[in-house]
Amino acid sequence: MADGTRTLLVGDGPLADGLHDGLVHRGHVVAQVVPVGADGGTDIGAGIDAGIGAGVSLIGPPDLVVHVPQVPAGPVALVDQTTQQWVEACEAPMAEAFAVARACRPHLSDGARLVWVLPTVAMGGAAGYVGSAAASEGIRALAKSAARQWGPDGLTTAVLAVAPELAFPPDTGAGARTSAATTLTGPALGGPGDAFGDIAPLLDLLADPAARFMTGATLVADGGVWMAP
Amino acid sequence: MSPDLAPGDKLLEGRVVLVTGGASGLGLGMATAMAAHGAAVVLACRRPETGEPAAVQLREAGHDVRCVRCDVASADDLRAAVEATVTAHGRLDCMIHNAIAPTLGPTRIQDVAQDHWDAMMATAIRATFEGARAAHPHLREAGGSMILMTSAAGMEGSASLPVYAMVKAAQRTLAKGLAAEWGADGIRVNCIAPVALTPAMERAYGENPVLHERLLERTPLGRIGDPLDDVGPVAVFLASEMARFITGQTLCVDGGGFLGL
Repeated sequence: MADGTRTLLVGDGPLADGLHDGLVHRGHVVAQVVPVGADGGTDIGAGIDAGIGAGVSLIGPPDLVVHVPQVPAGPVALVDQTTQQWVEACEAPMAEAFAVARACRPHLSDGARLVWVLPTVAMGGAAGYVGSAAASEGIRALAKSAARQWGPDGLTTAVLAVAPELAFPPDTGAGARTSAATTLTGPALGGPGDAFGDIAPLLDLLADPAARFMTGATLVADGGVWMAP
Repeated sequence: MSPDLAPGDKLLEGRVVLVTGGASGLGLGMATAMAAHGAAVVLACRRPETGEPAAVQLREAGHDVRCVRCDVASADDLRAAVEATVTAHGRLDCMIHNAIAPTLGPTRIQDVAQDHWDAMMATAIRATFEGARAAHPHLREAGGSMILMTSAAGMEGSASLPVYAMVKAAQRTLAKGLAAEWGADGIRVNCIAPVALTPAMERAYGENPVLHERLLERTPLGRIGDPLDDVGPVAVFLASEMARFITGQTLCVDGGGFLGL
């Protein structure tokens, strides 16, 4: 438990909301920011600064920044997508992640951590979600690059890879279909877990100073579906 | 077609290949290797003044190679390049998306300019989408394949080129997703992650004098690859029947430099 950990949570939707509640339950002081540009913009500049600044003014310099990037509402085959749909599914989440990193950087000091919560399709790809999965892997690379650039300043990053069932809209069934395409046997732990009880504690763990020697890494928390290196 | 081979067989006889960024470096090396294996090759080049001489040189060597002007940041240009290929040759068996905007020098995340971001997205990510969409019906008809160029930077991140690392990572997972979507159409999609001595690499050496030495230190085979002799054969292989059961994969062609897969 990290009582009083100042956490800036960027994102909305059931996954982000569940993480918010779980972190508050564990004693974090949380400011939740819904990013400007979540409508498909590709601005990596100042568009998100105001929201990050407002969050920081509420809680002070964050110890932990958590970004939950947007995901598309439902699956669309690549050949059936318009260019705008592609930009919204693939380029906009990467731009949002990059903008979050840039906007947060001036507020982060020694010991702070930046975490992206992404579906495991980042590693394995997903039919119907080609752009979104590609964006997630791009963001995973950003976490690694940021770890390398900002490590000398005492900043760390991580990716928490969760089951697609948690990241994709629950009413579409897309997460379950995507997970089923990944495994022959189903989750080793019986299900995809939930943001409040299974994922938020891992964010708490990542915020703990005891985890300070881990950076740029991906922690897979999907109940035991994705087990590739 | 059986993948059984006799010595000297040409793996791509009768095949048609479109290579973006084919005027120089990796694109030209792969195009040359594929032409040498019997493929008709179309070099899609932003600057015909460099692409056309390369095509002429390959034709003079007896290969079936032509050049079309194509700025991959333009969806119209990509569609036109695909259509020009099919009009000229009647089919498209393989599309290699190799072109990308210049990576510039080492850049801090905080200092990345919007226009650099936009150029990388347009040439690496959106061009893959637009190119894939344009090529799909022809690749399906031919039972063909698509090859994307990725990088170890996309797998391990990059302290100096964060945007490049992002787009290369995204292209790798893009290939996996497309492989899943297009498998039922008989289309394979794979990636090559090379390290080779290209004009871009030579520029990088100029910007970072220790880069060459560092690369050699981490390369078990002790040298930097050659676009034609080291990377070209892998592109030939992936486009050929020899690789007919390989899809969604990344082949690192880097002398063992990246061992993380």
